Amino acid sequence: MTASPSLLQVSPSDAELVLRVRQGDLDAYGPLMTRYRLRFGRYAYHLLGNESDAEEALQDAFTLAYRSLDQCRHPERFAAWLFRILVNRCRTTGVRRGREQARRAPIEAADGIGVHHPSEEAMRREELARGLGRLVPEQREAFLLKYVEELSYEEMAALTGAGESALKMRVKRACEQLRELLGDTDAS
Amino acid sequence: MHPDHRSGELPDPFIERLAAQLREPVSLSPEVERVVLDRLRTRPARRRWPGVAGALAAGIAAAFGAGLLVGRWTAAPSAGVPSVRPVEFALRMPADSAVVLVGDFNDWNPAATPLHRATDGVWSVTVPLRPGRYRYTFIVDGTRWHRDPAAPRALEDDFGAPTSVITIAQR
Repeated sequence: MTASPSLLQVSPSDAELVLRVRQGDLDAYGPLMTRYRLRFGRYAYHLLGNESDAEEALQDAFTLAYRSLDQCRHPERFAAWLFRILVNRCRTTGVRRGREQARRAPIEAADGIGVHHPSEEAMRREELARGLGRLVPEQREAFLLKYVEELSYEEMAALTGAGESALKMRVKRACEQLRELLGDTDAS
Repeated sequence: MHPDHRSGELPDPFIERLAAQLREPVSLSPEVERVVLDRLRTRPARRRWPGVAGALAAGIAAAFGAGLLVGRWTAAPSAGVPSVRPVEFALRMPADSAVVLVGDFNDWNPAATPLHRATDGVWSVTVPLRPGRYRYTFIVDGTRWHRDPAAPRALEDDFGAPTSVITIAQR
């Protein structure tokens, strides 16, 4: 992954905290989770479509990472390892629950009957979330990894197990669909 | 680093605008950490693999690996790679199913380890595993989690889903 927070020379480093956790210091795991909650939670939120599911996926990924910490062979790259677990956890969650058809209710349903008037900014965010929710999961995943997490296709391939050409196609189709759904006025 | 700079693609203002919105921070509860720590304190990990694991693995292999077709698994030495052992995971399912294996060994990635169906109606896959303890489950037809009927159930089933456990002994 790019721009790993561990490269920002935070102290203690990820590797130091991982070592402490491995030695039995459970409290050292708290700062590790705090370090990545918002950053990785953003991915889970956009992929799964709501805070509740994102927090659940994050909790599961943190728990699984802790229980598998002996298999983290490069503690200095804990962030990338954890993110890989989260990405797969989000995939599995989506598969397990088959929730795609129920994702992201229309704005009208969420807002009630003229009681609440969301700001333009909020409506824009809702519209974008709805557009993302209309993408098939593989395309949404690829789009988020490429444009939000800013991974290279090589990194995406290593993370997802998909080929680079397949990933490029998913991103391309995601962009096309988002443009269609959200109305790219610049394209005309 | 900007993705387009790395890939050599031309920047797309519309997509970049969407991405910029999506890169804004989202609000997630700081309770996440507390919930996880409580969960881990309540059910501490057994991440260190005890020496008795071999007895468990050998017992399960003897009971299920040789004679049963459903849920069998076997662990046999792998020539030339002393620390890794091929382990077969198997499950009987109808022919028109799709069965994948997810677990600690593949980061619970449903795309990583599909099972293949043999003529005897058993779906199976062999995975090279180092000594250790792994939780795993089968996903059938993309939606149903199916615990391995031939293996012990994982005690710390954190995800509310049927999960099995396998222990590979140090040799």
